[in-house]
Amino acid sequence: MIVNYETTEEQSLIQSSVSSLLSEKLPVDRLREVGHYFGAVEQSIWDDLVGIGLFGLGLSEQQGGIGYTLLEEIMTIFAMGENLVSVNLLAQMIAIHLAEDKDTLQRLMAGEAKASLLAVTDPQTAWLIDGDQATHVVILSDGLALQTIDQFTAASSAELIDETVSNKVIKHEFPPLPRSEHSDRLSLYCSAYLAGMAKATTEMAVAYANTREQFGHPISAFQALKHSCADMHVRAEAASSQTLYAATTFNLNDESTRITETACSRLLAQQAAFTNAKANIQIHGGMGFTAECDAHLYLKRAHVLSILGSSRLGERERILKGK
Amino acid sequence: MQILDTPEYRQFREQCSDWLHENTPKEIRPPEGEAMRQFDLQWQRKQYEGGWAGVSWPKEYGGRGLSVFEQLVWHEEYARAGGPPSGSMFVALSHAGPTLIVCGTEEQRSQYLPPILKGEENWCQGFSEPGAGSDLASLKCKAVIDGDELVVNGTKIWTSYGHLATRQELLVRTDPNEAKHRGITWVICDMDSPGIDIRPIKAMSGLTHFAQIFYDDVRIPLSNVVGEVNQGWKTTMSTLGFERGTGTIPHQMELSKKVNELIEIAIELSAKQSAGELIDLDITMAELAQLKAEAAALRSLTAAQVARGATQEVPGPEGNIVALYFGELTRRVHAATVELLGASGLLRDQAHNYPVEYLESFKWAIGGGTSEIRRNVIAERILGMPKTKLSV
Repeated sequence: MIVNYETTEEQSLIQSSVSSLLSEKLPVDRLREVGHYFGAVEQSIWDDLVGIGLFGLGLSEQQGGIGYTLLEEIMTIFAMGENLVSVNLLAQMIAIHLAEDKDTLQRLMAGEAKASLLAVTDPQTAWLIDGDQATHVVILSDGLALQTIDQFTAASSAELIDETVSNKVIKHEFPPLPRSEHSDRLSLYCSAYLAGMAKATTEMAVAYANTREQFGHPISAFQALKHSCADMHVRAEAASSQTLYAATTFNLNDESTRITETACSRLLAQQAAFTNAKANIQIHGGMGFTAECDAHLYLKRAHVLSILGSSRLGERERILKGK
Repeated sequence: MQILDTPEYRQFREQCSDWLHENTPKEIRPPEGEAMRQFDLQWQRKQYEGGWAGVSWPKEYGGRGLSVFEQLVWHEEYARAGGPPSGSMFVALSHAGPTLIVCGTEEQRSQYLPPILKGEENWCQGFSEPGAGSDLASLKCKAVIDGDELVVNGTKIWTSYGHLATRQELLVRTDPNEAKHRGITWVICDMDSPGIDIRPIKAMSGLTHFAQIFYDDVRIPLSNVVGEVNQGWKTTMSTLGFERGTGTIPHQMELSKKVNELIEIAIELSAKQSAGELIDLDITMAELAQLKAEAAALRSLTAAQVARGATQEVPGPEGNIVALYFGELTRRVHAATVELLGASGLLRDQAHNYPVEYLESFKWAIGGGTSEIRRNVIAERILGMPKTKLSV
């Protein structure tokens, strides 16, 4: 199989129009204000997100979508990770692929119906992430299921390591759902998001090192930091290249290869996000340890992503066994 | 970004596959020495006779002139057919030949290129010195012009296949008053010249693949200079433009194969265990899955680099990403193989000779550019971090 990485003009346009919108309206520093947590700013620009064609981007025209593929969706998601956008956007995108009736599909694409992720943590418990405005939930339990939110009532709030994300604990019977192609699709969404985070933390670390001066020159002149940043860059590139490869070959692969390629992407992207977030904090020195510096936001969000349809053992099993 | 899947590519792939399966040598490649060299030359000759010599060389110089994506297909099929490494033909095909193509005179090209393609001559590289490794530009091997000849005195080290090569691409300092990369000349040296003393060096694997070479008043005609006298650095840099990201594909494919082999070994071993499956033990599983994921990423990074090779006017520093990733990963894969096998992993005389492969693997993070230098290049040329100047 020959995968040609040269982006087409259309792909470049899709990617840049989304990343411009996100940099402008959802920059990461919005998360310095408590009022901007829980996907609040995302809600306020919901019409812009609908307008740019994010929802239904990778659904075929035949099925009622915009007519691009998983690959184009993935290309827009890197920027979401860079800007620590609410995972509601990923929920909305996957919900559209899960929708079984035309009416629900149209309402999701128009943004009238709003989906949030409901991550099952044990057979009677699930966590509703950023679900304040949700009309629908995407149940994450190995397999995925799209349902309306009415049958679920929140028992309590349980604040997470990531203060910018809201978490409502739902008590319900959650029977295991078999993994499907959609599970892999969502996992690649998460991989792209994580790869975006890995890239953003690299850029943040380099920018800081280039401006912070000690011993008479920028600390970026010290080889230890140069090597740390070089490794961050390589990790981020490996994660994004692999995720793009998996997305490009998604429909051509047999099921077992698709599962393996997806799991390879998720494992590496998760590690890249974690390792780079930690290295970024370290390079920021004392400042990196503060709440004021944005570095901690990337670390905390990486932990939230790590429990969304993924586990340490799960990814490794899927890599080795292809199921 | 897309899959390239046209009837032309499919047809081409079949063509490669058919010829390779028919013609790939069935005998085991000798591990070292003159026998290994003869094997490499003969395989080159066979590829020449089959019309497959110089896949990346332009047609006008006797090559196949394949596009980067066609080269990718060739390399994939080559690995599938179990093709041997280019070994002692590597420098001639991937470095010396391309340098002559880009910078050589017509006479030099017509004299030296055909014997390479035909598998009649192979080359080695006389670049590094005991005092000039990462800091190549500080090389000291001296050449003085005497009439229409250069007289060379000095020494080169880490010359891969130096003891088994017909010719050498040799970097000498022709202007001692110029520092560093100024005053260097690129010259073709015949390895049977009087005054050349070749001392093979044994690697820690036990194999002897490279040598130190001493030059004692070695005379080389000025007509052997490639490019201009004192412009050797320019000649060397121009060769970099030839490398379009396809050079690493054979290594990447071999490594993916190795990882799958490693997983099979683990499964085989687990079948012999009485208590549970080894493959399910957390430690082993975690390590194997990690290696497999990284091998997949290496494949993806390589493909991304090939696309850059197809579109960039002048190759940028991104090739260092693939080289760094490969160097680090191959070392870990080979280490894992030996460790996984326990005591039997230490035995030298097995069909696979894992200890030797493992010890050999250390060179990938050192030769051709250490991992540390590659990280410096990535930091400086991709990330825009400053050069490190040590305060005295």
